[in-house]
Amino acid sequence: MTVFALIIINKAGGLIYNRTFHEGGLNKISTNDYLVLAGTFHGVHAITARLNPLKSAAAAAKRTSTTSTAGGMPARPEPPSGLEVLESENFRMQCFTTLTGVKFLLFTDPTQANVDATMRRVYDMYTDYVMKNPFYQLEMPVRCDMFDRKLGSYIREINNR
Amino acid sequence: MVVYSFYIFDRHTECIYSKSWLPPSHASSSSSSSGPTNVTTTTGTGTATAAAAAAGAAAGQTASGARKKSAADDAKLIFGTVFSLRNMVRKLGGDDDAFVAYRTAHYKLHYYETASNLRMVMLTDPATLSMRNVLHQIYINLWVEYVVKNPLSPVEHKGGAGVRNELFELGLDQFVRGLM
Repeated sequence: MTVFALIIINKAGGLIYNRTFHEGGLNKISTNDYLVLAGTFHGVHAITARLNPLKSAAAAAKRTSTTSTAGGMPARPEPPSGLEVLESENFRMQCFTTLTGVKFLLFTDPTQANVDATMRRVYDMYTDYVMKNPFYQLEMPVRCDMFDRKLGSYIREINNR
Repeated sequence: MVVYSFYIFDRHTECIYSKSWLPPSHASSSSSSSGPTNVTTTTGTGTATAAAAAAGAAAGQTASGARKKSAADDAKLIFGTVFSLRNMVRKLGGDDDAFVAYRTAHYKLHYYETASNLRMVMLTDPATLSMRNVLHQIYINLWVEYVVKNPLSPVEHKGGAGVRNELFELGLDQFVRGLM
């Protein structure tokens, strides 16, 4: 049971937080590579939401029907869902997208269970210690001591379990 | 378990084979069903219903015409996604790591790459377990047997040449339908 790393990507695809919790789980890559990775993932995530094999035809039909009913309220489309879990031989990545478009990427070992609960807790900490920090500027890199400390102790608890 | 579609890409990144198991009436049936229901909730007059049905039918026709093009576009999008994710995985997990699958709320994409950079992609419903061995079986029992060992098949399958032979298509269809 190991959590390797956490990455937070803002709604524009910029890397705002990146931290490694366990040495040896993932390769060490430079900060610049992390920035490139965050941008790439942001784009790929948008594409995966569009690739849905069932909805591509339905979406086109919906578009024509909303234009034909000009006076009426157009039906609210189902929210698109991009990549949620990525599996590879050496790790597993869980992606959680908030309603405002911030993405949390949690890298764990392939057998890790209950990542949803961990993700939820990490998001709680983000809201408590980053969003409620009066000195934090939106969309900017996260530099909050409290967040670092609480997150560190929570993940250490999981990794030592 | 439902298999939606299957793609093969060669080492030149070209899509040399694609097959969809979605019912062909999927687009037209959904457009004609969503058209009238929308109208009954908003206006409900007979003429509007007829107009909407006509519009739905027209949309179905254009959709079938555009489907060939959108299928080719889909293949390109899928290759781009898979290629980026594979590079991302190899950068993070080391050169021996391999991208296996990803899942969204609506579908799951399975990936298998051979040593000769032949890439196979399968889209299924999100509840499906790992299809890595299935893709491996397709490679061993169908690709190698019916495409590689076919003396009439070219070495490079430019534009899908040599892949769409009867035995391969039939074998793949039977194998996948056997899974569902």
